[in-house]
Amino acid sequence: MQQLIPAIGFGLITASILAIAAVGFTLQFSVTNILNLAYGDIMTACAFAAYLANHAGVNIWICLVIAALFGAVFSMVLNRYVYFQFVRRGTRLFAMIIVTIAVSLIIQNVLLAIFRPTFFSYHADAGSSYHFGSMVFTGSQLAIMVIAVIAMLCVHVLFTQTKLGKAMRATATNPSLARSCGIATDRVIDVAWLLSGALCGIAGVVLVLNTATFSETTGAGFLVPIIAAAVLGGIGQPYGAMLGAITIGLAGEISAALISPAYKGVAAFAILIVVLLVRPQGILSEVADAKEVAA
Amino acid sequence: MTDSMQFYITTLLIYLFIDIIGVLGLNLQFGVAGIINFAYIVFVAVGAYTAAVVTLGPDSPGNFQHYMFGANWPFPLPILAGGATAGLLSLVVGVISLRRLRSDYQAMVMLVLSLIATLVASNWVGLVNGPAGLAVIPQPLFDQLGLSSLEYQWVYAVWTGFLALLTFLFVQGITNSPLGRTLRAMRDNDRAAAALGKGVVGLRLMIFVVGGVIAGISGAVFVEFIQAWSPGSWLYPETFVFLAAVLIGGSANNWGVMVGTLLVPVGFLEATRFLPPIFYTGFIEAMQWVAVGLLILLFLWFRPNGLFPERPGRFRHKPVAPAQPEAAQQ
Repeated sequence: MQQLIPAIGFGLITASILAIAAVGFTLQFSVTNILNLAYGDIMTACAFAAYLANHAGVNIWICLVIAALFGAVFSMVLNRYVYFQFVRRGTRLFAMIIVTIAVSLIIQNVLLAIFRPTFFSYHADAGSSYHFGSMVFTGSQLAIMVIAVIAMLCVHVLFTQTKLGKAMRATATNPSLARSCGIATDRVIDVAWLLSGALCGIAGVVLVLNTATFSETTGAGFLVPIIAAAVLGGIGQPYGAMLGAITIGLAGEISAALISPAYKGVAAFAILIVVLLVRPQGILSEVADAKEVAA
Repeated sequence: MTDSMQFYITTLLIYLFIDIIGVLGLNLQFGVAGIINFAYIVFVAVGAYTAAVVTLGPDSPGNFQHYMFGANWPFPLPILAGGATAGLLSLVVGVISLRRLRSDYQAMVMLVLSLIATLVASNWVGLVNGPAGLAVIPQPLFDQLGLSSLEYQWVYAVWTGFLALLTFLFVQGITNSPLGRTLRAMRDNDRAAAALGKGVVGLRLMIFVVGGVIAGISGAVFVEFIQAWSPGSWLYPETFVFLAAVLIGGSANNWGVMVGTLLVPVGFLEATRFLPPIFYTGFIEAMQWVAVGLLILLFLWFRPNGLFPERPGRFRHKPVAPAQPEAAQQ
C-alpha cells in the first residue's frame, strides 16, 4: 500500500502524457484512416526541434509551442507529400502500414545520423516539489498534468462546439457523405493532421521533460502504450483514448510498483493484446462498429 | 584468392543462403497466403535460442551465462528442435490472433508481440541470459570433421546452400500445388474462398505454422554459424528487412524473393558492413536503415509488385471444344 499511492502519482503523470499523444494519434486515424506508425518518431523529431531551440537559449515552455508548431507542419507535409500520394495511387491498407513503417525507419535514422547515438536533455528547472499526501510531484510534472487537461478540454470544445469539429466528426464517420454535404474534406484532413501533429509535438516535449533524457528511439519506444491507449478506447474515439490513457498509465506504474519495474511496459502490451482479442472495437464503440475498414 | 577474401565470400554466401530460407518462409505466409506477420523475426529468434540451448549443455551455477532447458544434443537434432519450437509458438500465436481480426489490428498484434518478446527475453535473465544473450555456442560437427576453419566455412556454405535448396523446392511445391492455388484465392478474396467451401481459418493457421517452422530452422542454422545470439540481434525492424526482400523481389514469386534477398539483407546490410567508417561509428548503419526505408517507399511507388511480379496462373490444357451437336446438322 505504501508503494501504491506514489505509483498512482506516477501513473497520473504517464496518463497525462499518454492522453495528449493518444488523442492526437486517434484523431488523425479516425479522420484519415491511416495507421501512422511513424507517430512515435514524429514525437522524437519534435523533441529534437525543442532541444535545438532550448539550447539556443529559449525558455522550455516556449520550446513546447515551437515543438507543437513543428509537429503540426511536419505531419501535414508528411501526409500531403507522402501518405496521401500513396493513397491516391491506390496503395492498399496493408501496404500503407508498411509505408508508415518505412517513414518511421527513415525519420529515426536520419535523426540518429544528425544527432549521433547519445542521450540529450533540456535545460529546464524541474521546480520545487509539491506533496499531496504521499504523492510527490515536481513543478514541471504538475505543469504537464495541467497542459494535458487544457489540451483535452480544447479537443472537447473543438469537437462539440465548433463547426470544424462537426465537420471532422462527419468526415470520420462517412467521408463520401460528408463530401456530398458540402464539407471540404481535403481541408478537414489537413486540419486533422495539423492538430494531431501539434498534440504529437506537445507530447514529445512533455515526455522528455518527464524522463529527463532522450535519444532517437524515445518516441518509438512510447508508441505501443499510445496505440494501446487508443485501441483500448476504441480507435478513432478521442474520449475513449483519454480513458484508455488513464487505464494504461495507471496499470503500467502500479504493476511496476507491485511486480517489477522491468515489466512496466509489458502491462501496457498485455492489456493491448487482450483488448484486441476480446473487444477489438474498444470500450466506446458506437462509431467504430459502423466504420468497418475494407482490408 | 587470399584466405581473408575466402572467409568474406563464404560468410556472405552463408548469410545469403540462410536469409533465403527465412525470406522464403515469410513469402509463403505473406506473399502466397496473405498473412500479415510483423513478428516473423520472433520465430527466427525462438528457433535460434532453442538450437543454442540444446547444444550448449546443461546450465551449471558457476557458468558465465544462464539459460533453461540446457542439453547436449547431437548435430541434426538442434535444428529440428528449433523448427519444432518455432512451429509450436506459431500454433499458439496463430490460434489466438488469426481468427477474425481486421488486418490492421492483426498487424498491430504482431508488432506488439515482437516488442513484448524482446522485453521478456531481455528482462527474464534466467530464460536465455537476458540482454547479454548466449555466446560460445558450439558449431555443429566442428570437432568431428577435423577441418581447418576455412575448410569448415566452405562446408557450412554448402550445407546451408543445400538447406536453402530444400526449402525452395518445398515452398515452390506448395505454391504451385492445388493447395497453393487455394491459398492465393484466400489471399485475394477470403470471403469468396470461404464461400467455395475452403476452410480459410484452418488454412491460414497451417501456413502460419509452416512458415514459423521455416523461420525457426533458419534461425537455428544461423545461430550455429555465428555462435552467439542476443535480443539486439532480432529487434522488430529486422522483420522489415525480410519484408523488404519479399516486396522488392516480388511478393509470391519464389524466384523473385531470392533475388530480393540477394539485394536487401545481403547486398545492402551485410556487404556494406565492411565499408570504412566515415564521420563516426554508427553513421553507416543509420544510413543503411534510411536506405532500406527509402527502397521500400520507392518500390511501393514505382513497382508495387516487385522486380519479378507474380505470374498470373495459366491453364495447362486447352479448353475442350464444345461437342458439336450432331443431330442439328442432319
